[in-house]
Amino acid sequence: MNTSIEVSALRSSLLAALLSLGGTGLAAIAIQALPGSILPPTYSEASLSETVVTPEMVAKGQEYYGMSCSHCHGDDATGDDDGPNLHDLRISNARIAVAIKKGIKDQMPTFAKKYNDAQIKALVSYLRTLR
Amino acid sequence: MLIDPSIWPKMHGASVHFPVALAMAAALFDGLGFFWPVSSPRKVQLHSAGYFTIILGALGTFPAVLSGLFMTKGVVLGHDALLFHHLFVWPAFGLLVGLGVWRALVGDKVSFRGFTAYLVVLFLTAGLMGGAGYWGGELILNS
Repeated sequence: MNTSIEVSALRSSLLAALLSLGGTGLAAIAIQALPGSILPPTYSEASLSETVVTPEMVAKGQEYYGMSCSHCHGDDATGDDDGPNLHDLRISNARIAVAIKKGIKDQMPTFAKKYNDAQIKALVSYLRTLR
Repeated sequence: MLIDPSIWPKMHGASVHFPVALAMAAALFDGLGFFWPVSSPRKVQLHSAGYFTIILGALGTFPAVLSGLFMTKGVVLGHDALLFHHLFVWPAFGLLVGLGVWRALVGDKVSFRGFTAYLVVLFLTAGLMGGAGYWGGELILNS
């Protein structure tokens, strides 16, 4: 008796799970089609507006990247065995700057002594161009 | 602008902790109730708590998932930490909804074998919810 209730409930629960996941997929498609004004900017979009970026800054940042970052993150910053892909980062400029400055425990060294704030800003500006 | 776009990350942060905590609480209550002596009234109380927490947890997934979708502009997988977050989120979401519906429909008319299977899946789901929470934290702190 209990088994038949359980089996029937199992069918309903599978259906509910599938409908929920399917509904979520449809919602995702609908959300992608919504006007941007009711959606938050992606982190990279938000961060781009935080500072004025000049081509010189980006060039300097690329130079610093080549000197200090490429051996872990790869020449094209798409990631290597030692470091992740840095394209289209979804975190703020401030957070990237903190990661460069203070490092990430057991993952990335600190660059506070090597680069000053302006140089880190240039590095961040270069990273923002990577898409 | 009708809706302030910054509301979605706030809503996601405000809503995600409920289903995670409720799924884990349901596993704890029903897990304890499963091994509690049959003669004790505490066994029924624990299963009763497990019953309500799993149903509330399943209901709580919807605002969490929807606010997350709005926050990421409809991204269902993404990359890096977001990808790992989603690889835990989607199975956990489906399982939690399924478990909530099953428990609501079955009530106390459940066999030992049926409940044992439920409990195994519940623990798996609680683990997946924990993984989703972990990678959600990684997204904020370290990515």
